[in-house]
Amino acid sequence: MNLLPRRRAVHWIVLAREFLDETSASALLALTVGTVSLLSSLGLFLNASPLTSVPLLVFLASITYGWVRHRELTARAVTMAMTASTILILALIVVFIFVEAWPVFDVARAEVFGISVPGLRLFTQAEWAPRSAERYSLLPLIHGTVMVTVVATLVAGPLGVASALFVSEIAPPTVREVVKPGIEILAGIPSIVYGFIGFTIISPWASEQFDLVGQGTYLFVGAVVGLMALPTVVSVAEDALNSVPESMKDGSLALGTTDWQTMTTITLPAAFSGVSAAVLLGVGRAIGETMAATVMLRNSPQLPEPLYNVFYGYDTLTSAIAAQYGEATGNQLSALFAAGVVLFITVMFLSIGSQLIERRMKRQLGGQE
Amino acid sequence: MSEQSKRSGVSRRKFIITTGAAGAAGIAGCSSSSESGNGNGNGDSGNGDGTSDTSNTASTDDGSDGNGGGGPEALTAEGSSTVYPISNTGASYWNGNPPASDGEYWGSNDETSVPGWDQIGTDMNLADYFASQYGFEPTGERSNAPFTATVGLSHSGTGCKAVRDGLVDIGNSSGPITAELGISESERDENYVDHVVGRDGQPVFVSQDVYDGGVTQLTGEQIRGIYQGEINNWSEVGGPDQEIYVIGRAEGSGTDTSFRLNMLGDAEASMEVDTRKGQNQQVKTVMQQNDGAIGYMALAFQGEGIQPVAIDFDGTVYEPDKDAENTIFDSSYPLNRDLHMYTRITDDTPDGTDMREAAFLNMFLTDFGQQVFVEGVEYIPLPTKDIEAEREKLPSSS
Repeated sequence: MNLLPRRRAVHWIVLAREFLDETSASALLALTVGTVSLLSSLGLFLNASPLTSVPLLVFLASITYGWVRHRELTARAVTMAMTASTILILALIVVFIFVEAWPVFDVARAEVFGISVPGLRLFTQAEWAPRSAERYSLLPLIHGTVMVTVVATLVAGPLGVASALFVSEIAPPTVREVVKPGIEILAGIPSIVYGFIGFTIISPWASEQFDLVGQGTYLFVGAVVGLMALPTVVSVAEDALNSVPESMKDGSLALGTTDWQTMTTITLPAAFSGVSAAVLLGVGRAIGETMAATVMLRNSPQLPEPLYNVFYGYDTLTSAIAAQYGEATGNQLSALFAAGVVLFITVMFLSIGSQLIERRMKRQLGGQE
Repeated sequence: MSEQSKRSGVSRRKFIITTGAAGAAGIAGCSSSSESGNGNGNGDSGNGDGTSDTSNTASTDDGSDGNGGGGPEALTAEGSSTVYPISNTGASYWNGNPPASDGEYWGSNDETSVPGWDQIGTDMNLADYFASQYGFEPTGERSNAPFTATVGLSHSGTGCKAVRDGLVDIGNSSGPITAELGISESERDENYVDHVVGRDGQPVFVSQDVYDGGVTQLTGEQIRGIYQGEINNWSEVGGPDQEIYVIGRAEGSGTDTSFRLNMLGDAEASMEVDTRKGQNQQVKTVMQQNDGAIGYMALAFQGEGIQPVAIDFDGTVYEPDKDAENTIFDSSYPLNRDLHMYTRITDDTPDGTDMREAAFLNMFLTDFGQQVFVEGVEYIPLPTKDIEAEREKLPSSS
C-alpha cells in the first residue's frame, strides 16, 4: 500500500547521502552552524530575548566563511533561506491580523438558522459607535471603499486604456519617448501630495460649488485616487498592447483595414485580458490607497443617504485604520484589524484574478513567437 | 566561479549584498556611536565621577546596560498632541540650558527677567538648577544640559502604551490613563504615577461666518443638541440660515472622551457628527476652510477664521476672555481637563518617579514653569494648592 511513499523516502535518503558524500566536512559544518544559528535567532527573536544578536552574529560569521570557501553552496543556502523568510513573514502577518481581529468577530456574533456565526453582525448592521454602544460595523467602510474604487475605476480605466493605446499604437516615437517616462514619474509622486492638494484645494472648492455641508466627498476622493492609479493602468496596459505580435497586425493591415480598424478589431481584443489585468491592478491600488483618502474624507464611518450619494464621503477600510489606530483600544482596535482582514482578502482575490488573466493571455498569445 | 561573476546577474546580486551589508554596518555603527556619544558628552563636561551614584540610580530604570560611562541617560517623553506644546517647550528650554544672565528664557538681566524669577533666584543655568536639586552635577554650559530631554508627538493612547511598555520615561496624555489603557484605578495606582502639569479648557469654536451671523454664545444644552443631531441649522440657535457642519474628534481619543463626559453628560453618550479629525491642527484647518462649522479643540490652537464662543452652563456664562468674571480659563469651567504626564513604577523606582523624571517634572511645578510652559502656550495654570499636591508626588529634593 505505502510502497510508493516509501520508495520516495528511500530516494530522498539516497540523494541526501550523495549530497553528504560530495560535500566537504567544513562546508557541512558551516551549513549546519548557519542553519542552527539562524533558527535559534528566530526563536529568540520571537521570544523577544536580548540575546537574539548572538546567534545572528554566528550566522553572519558562518555565511561569511562559507561565502569565501564554498561560495556555490552558500549562495544556494542563503537564497533558499531568504525565500523561506519571505514566506514566513507573510504567514506571520496573516496569522497576526487574524488573531488580532478575532475578539471583535467573537463579540459581533449573529444567529443564522440557529447557528451562531462569529463576525456576522459586522456586516448586517450599519452603526459604527465604538464608545457609545460598543457597536462595530464594517458596512460603512466597505461601502466607502466600493464608492471610491468605482469612481477611481471610472476615471483610471477609460483614461488609462486610451492613453496606453495612444502611446503604444498611435504616437510617433519622439512623443512616446517623452510621454512614457512622464507617466512613470506620475507614479512616483507620493500619495500625501495628492491628498494635500485634495484637502486644501479640491475639497473646499467642491464644498462651495455643490453647496455641501462641510468637506469630504467620495466623488473627488475617487477622482484623485483614480489619477493615482492611472500610471499603473497605463504602463501595464501598454505592455499588454505591445505584446500583441506584429504579425497579427500586419495580417490585418494586409487585408486592407485602416489603422483604427486594426486597433479596435485586432489589437485590443487580442490584448483584452492584459488590459483588464491592468485595470484590475489599478483597482487594487485604489482599494489600498490610504493617505489621500484619510486626509480628504470625513473619518466618521456612516452610510450616506441615498446610498449612491457620492457628494458625501465618510470613511474607507484603509482610512478608518489610518485615522483611528492611535486612539483605538480593545474591541475598537480589533475592529480595525477586522477591516485589515477584509482588505487582505479582497486584495488577495484581486491579485489572484489578475494573475489568472495574465496566464490566460500568455496561453493565448504565447505560442505565436 | 570566475565565469559566474562575469555574468551581470550575479554581479548585480553581489552588489546588492555588499551594499546591504554596508548598510547594516552603518546602522550598527550609528546606534553604537550614539550610545557611546551620550556617555562621552557627559564625561567631557566633567560630571562622570561626581554624580556616578545618582546617575546610576537614575539610569537603571530600563535595566539599560550600555551606560557604563556614568552619564545619565536622556529623558524621553511621548504622547498626546494636546500636552505636546507644554512638554516640548519645556524640553527645548531644558536642552538649551540658558544661563541665569539670559533674561529672556531664564534668569534676569538689567532689562528683563523671566516670570516667577523672584521665587528662584539662582546663578545656575536652567537645567543645571533643576537637575542639581536631584543630585545631578551642573555642567555650567549653555546647550549642554546634565541630561537631554526629548519629546515625541503621537496620541494619548500611544503615549500611555509607550510608558507602560517602558519605551519612554514619561507618557503624555490628555485623558486619564485608566480610560486610555482600559485599566482599573487600582491597577493605575499600582503601576503609574499621575503628574498633572496643567489644565486644558476645551473651548467650543465656530467658524467666522457663524460668529458674525450672531452666534457668540451657546448654552450647554444647545451644544449637546448640536452634537447629538437634534439641532441641524444655525437658525435654530439664533444664527444664519445655514446647516451646521459638526466636527468631532477621533473616536476613542482623550479629547473625544472628555467632551462626551463633560458636555454630553456621559463618557458613552451617543454623538452625530459629520467629520472626525484626530489632531487639533486638522480641526482648525477644516473649520477655517468651511462655513457653518462648529468644533472643539485645545485653546492653544485658536487662530484666524474661527472664534471661541461663550458658554452658558446652568446660568453661569463662561466668556472666552481672560478679564471676564467667569472665563473658560477658570478651573470651574466644566470642559476643563487635567493634562497628565505619567511615569511608571518599576522595581528600581518604587516611588514611580526617578531622579531625572523628578528634576524635569519639577520644572513645570514652579511659578516659572506654570507661567512660561502652561500659560505661555494658552493652557490653564494649576492653582497653588494643586501645585503643592503635585510636588508631594515627586521624590524629595536635596
